[in-house]
Amino acid sequence: MTRKQRRLTLIGSGLAVLAIAVGLILGALRQSIVFFNSPSDILEQHVSAGSRIRVGGLVQTGSIERSPDLNIRFEVTDGKSSIPVAYHGIVPDLFREGQGVVIEGKMGPGGVFQADTVLAKHDERYMPKEVVEALKKSGRWQEGEAASK
Amino acid sequence: MIPELGHYALVLALALALVQSVAPIVGVRTRDDALMRLGSSTALVQFGFVAFAFAALVTSYLTSDFSVANVYENSHSLMPTIYKFTSTWGNHEGSMLLWVLILSLFGALVAAFGINLPATLKANVLAVQAWIASAFYLFILFTSNPFLRLANPPFEGRALNPVLQDPGLAIHPPFLYLGYVGFSIAFSFAAAALIEGRIDAAWARFVRPWILVAWMALTLGIAMGSYWAYYELGWGGWWFWDPVENASLMPWLAGTALLHSAVVMEKRNALKIWTILLAVLTFSLSLIGTFLVRSGVLTSVHAFANDPTRGIFILVILVVFIGGALGLFAWRAPLLKQGGLFAPISREGALVLNNLFLTTACLTVLVGTLYPIALEALTGEKISVGAPFFNLTFGPVFIPLLLAMPFGPLLAWKRGDIYGVAQRLMAAGALAILAVAIVLVAQYGRATLAPFGIGLAVFVMGGAVSDMVERTGVFRLPGATARARARGLPRSVWGTAAAHFGIGLTLLGIVCVTHWSDEKIVELKPGESTIVRHYHLTFEGIVPRQGPNYRDQIAKFTVRSGGAVVGEMMPSKRTFVARDMTTTESALMTRGVSQLYISIGDARSDGSIAVRIYYKPLVLLIWLGAVVMAFGGGLSLSDRRLRVGAPKPAARAAMQPAE
Amino acid sequence: MALWLGFALLTAAAIFAVLWPLSRPGKVRSGSDAEVYRDQLDEIARDSAAGLIGPSEAEAARVEVSRRLIAAKDAEQIAAPVNPAHSLWRRRTLAIVALVFVPLMAGTVYLLHGSPQLPAEPLAARMEQAHKNGSVAAMVARVETHLDRNPNDVRGWEVLAPIYISLGRYDDAVRARRNALRYGGETADRQADLGEAMVAAENGIVTVDAKKAFERALTLDPDDAKSQFYIGLAAKQDGDSAKAAKLWQAMLDKAPAGTAWVPTVQQALAKLKGGSPTAQANPQPGAPPIAGNAAPSEQEMAAASQMAPAQRDEMIRSMVARLADRLKTDGADVDGWVRLVRAYVVLGERDKAAAAIVDARRALGSDPDKVRRIDDLAKGLGLNG
Repeated sequence: MTRKQRRLTLIGSGLAVLAIAVGLILGALRQSIVFFNSPSDILEQHVSAGSRIRVGGLVQTGSIERSPDLNIRFEVTDGKSSIPVAYHGIVPDLFREGQGVVIEGKMGPGGVFQADTVLAKHDERYMPKEVVEALKKSGRWQEGEAASK
Repeated sequence: MIPELGHYALVLALALALVQSVAPIVGVRTRDDALMRLGSSTALVQFGFVAFAFAALVTSYLTSDFSVANVYENSHSLMPTIYKFTSTWGNHEGSMLLWVLILSLFGALVAAFGINLPATLKANVLAVQAWIASAFYLFILFTSNPFLRLANPPFEGRALNPVLQDPGLAIHPPFLYLGYVGFSIAFSFAAAALIEGRIDAAWARFVRPWILVAWMALTLGIAMGSYWAYYELGWGGWWFWDPVENASLMPWLAGTALLHSAVVMEKRNALKIWTILLAVLTFSLSLIGTFLVRSGVLTSVHAFANDPTRGIFILVILVVFIGGALGLFAWRAPLLKQGGLFAPISREGALVLNNLFLTTACLTVLVGTLYPIALEALTGEKISVGAPFFNLTFGPVFIPLLLAMPFGPLLAWKRGDIYGVAQRLMAAGALAILAVAIVLVAQYGRATLAPFGIGLAVFVMGGAVSDMVERTGVFRLPGATARARARGLPRSVWGTAAAHFGIGLTLLGIVCVTHWSDEKIVELKPGESTIVRHYHLTFEGIVPRQGPNYRDQIAKFTVRSGGAVVGEMMPSKRTFVARDMTTTESALMTRGVSQLYISIGDARSDGSIAVRIYYKPLVLLIWLGAVVMAFGGGLSLSDRRLRVGAPKPAARAAMQPAE
Repeated sequence: MALWLGFALLTAAAIFAVLWPLSRPGKVRSGSDAEVYRDQLDEIARDSAAGLIGPSEAEAARVEVSRRLIAAKDAEQIAAPVNPAHSLWRRRTLAIVALVFVPLMAGTVYLLHGSPQLPAEPLAARMEQAHKNGSVAAMVARVETHLDRNPNDVRGWEVLAPIYISLGRYDDAVRARRNALRYGGETADRQADLGEAMVAAENGIVTVDAKKAFERALTLDPDDAKSQFYIGLAAKQDGDSAKAAKLWQAMLDKAPAGTAWVPTVQQALAKLKGGSPTAQANPQPGAPPIAGNAAPSEQEMAAASQMAPAQRDEMIRSMVARLADRLKTDGADVDGWVRLVRAYVVLGERDKAAAAIVDARRALGSDPDKVRRIDDLAKGLGLNG
């Protein structure tokens, strides 16, 4: 092989791998990304049951109901509207009424959100960005709230 | 006085860095050796100043000097001394100071131990290093100054975030930074080569120890970060594809590619332009990582800074350095001469393949990390890209890389014999197929992909062993000859084999944990038991305990296996008084390289608690593999050949570029 | 003084770092590419001797490396030797830069953010000092330190709580009271103290949580005076003055002579009866209730503008009272609540405004959107309800 041919082989195989990678990325993006919504979005857009989404908001005060077999139900609100959520398992340390949470899962039958992941904020200075977004959208967020806890 | 002196020392470091940014380059242009030498002395004194500033901040932390705003924000007089010390870098300002400390340390190391470097190269490298340092000194002094004072200091600080009060934090960020910042040397070498417009095989040898040091530190740093998340966050996961983790993985992938392409360049004077580009890209990815973590662009549990001015400042640094370096590259790279020829099937070819796959893998991670940010900026739509995306993209790219990996070291330079190599890998291949068959039969119908994962891991490890068997001739030649050959082999060969073996170990751990972990969530009353795998766990009850700055509610578990007590596990809920905040402390029990993992939820009024119990088979292999990889890097670093070229009197000093 | 000496020493070190290499004659010690290639040749020789590579490969590699070695040697020849005399002016410039630029720039940048007047203040030394001076803050800090280590020292929390209140650290006071309760066990006094701290933290409003604490205290000890008083206050803030008056009167009736709190309650009661006469104001018997819309009609507004101030005030008060009455039965009208609160503030009756906010929240509780409007209103008017 000449030098030129060799270089072409090299570039050719590089491009081939790159093309495969781009294909994989595009395919994966279509299949596996998770959209983020606020409770209002979900109620307005009627998110179809079965697709994975993330929801951010505050745990509605007085909405937490625990049943003995580690099932927990609560409502997530952005101040405008709220959706009921069901979860099985142990909730994080900072999961409390009135605190910001991000939940991930699917819309179940009967309009109850079946969460498989519940993330609470990590410490009192930090509010999940998605929760802030949801609250800002519904007008409940005021700048400076985060700084003063 | 001490904090002010520290502050002033940092300012002086900036002044020296500015001098060092210009003088050595002028020296090279005008062939004035005094100006070239200047870089070394300023680099050393600069490091002295930053070390002084860092020591001043540490002193303020240790003495709980709340007149320093940073100490007030992040410390508490009751924290154990070790955490007072580590909280120095447990916050944004302090961690940036650590960043420049390491940056100036590397500059000083080049000045002190780079005696074998050609004078012009060394001068240019130190000048470029000073550019980076100047940018970050300015960043610290004007946007993230840890030495700002409070005129009326309070009597108590606000304490370090309890999640960060952990030994993992003590060593994890420094190692990560050693890695990130270590690649700045590779960047400076590349920029220096571009400025000189001349580059050849010797350059690769000069830069290789620095890449190795950075790569080892980053490998260990990532592994420690992963282990920290595993036991501290209480979810039992060891990798979350969290953007902050990705930010450290990308430089690692690019750095690994750089490590391999530098070998080709050193041995065969080929892939020169590519290597230069990789060196630039690797450090750029480190900077992007810093930007992503420090600017608050990300939604992430790790991002503790959220300040737009800082973000913009780092963005400017990013654009100037990456843009500048790539511009320099576009302008100067065509001047560099092409190097040696090789056939596709050869050691060089294998290393090119390695680079191709590693950079592609890096690309998939980059896309997965940046796509949500870009999409949000462009359309306002918020998405999250999680593990499924990376499993679908990163996985398929990495698997062929691992399959090809055992072939690489066995191929000859220039033109290799693939059939010969395949023959030598027969044993490893047979072992792998056997492993697949055994697991398939044992797990019939349950796990479809796992047996092949195991097979791949066995093949990778077997390949590394075969390589060494082949080179030492251990089974072919008489024992004494084999031993002699083993001793005669360069350490870097042993290093390669060890690092590759480590990858196999990590892979084995990953496959086992992914497919055969047991998870159980139950509610237990005192005295009740549950069974996970072959372990019988009894919840004995809750005991309170008072720590130095927290209170623990410990849940005691007795673990039995086959009727015999094998130990106690004590997960707890820990309440920190200063912040009125609770964390979950999980409990781990190591059995061989597998682990039992308990984390608890809130206690109920009837004394029962929710418990999450995992059995994680071979989980420790994941991190053990990383340690073996880093060990391999260390072996390579200690290779005699990397010290070559040092003038004889200084040979001793040049032996330890890693320190 | 020591600080400036330190600055001077550091500056001197920086200048020295620049001047030292300039002042020293002699060549820079330099490695070279050629040495690397020579070593590569050695390595090939070793490998081929050990039989690691075949003779033909070794020869090919040797040729290749030799070619590089020659090229490197050539490059070194081209690199011209150094001429120090030629660059003397450049070195002088640099020396001046070191002497002028480094201190000047360091001084400027440092003074932007530096605070040379502030000494270091290690905590141990400050504690010592403050203890000598008897500073309250230091004492509090010492007690806090002690309590962080021994949180079950109930007396400590109880000593600390009133100090917190006097320092205005209400949230800490609440925390201290809670801890006293947690570690000392539940008593009526502790519950009442907790409630009181909560009221202080909320600027005098008896919140639902505080009320719960008082009620809990009363179940433990029905005669607990503090709780009775605050329950009365809660009733007053809820707009139920009659109940408040009844509760407080009952307290006074039962109080033994010379009880310390009697004057406080008497005062509160007197204020309740005399200070806000409209609280009991009934709608004028003749005026028909305005259905649906409580806003004043055009005619009423026109009439009001022509009235004497006293008359106008009277008219407004009566309208406000009507509105308040209607809202008691029809609580869902958020606009009505907003008008009511505003009206109270205009009339200078902030207590009633705050109470109205509490009522409005209760009445609108099911609708977060409306509650938010009330919250915003309260914030805007500076009513911490």
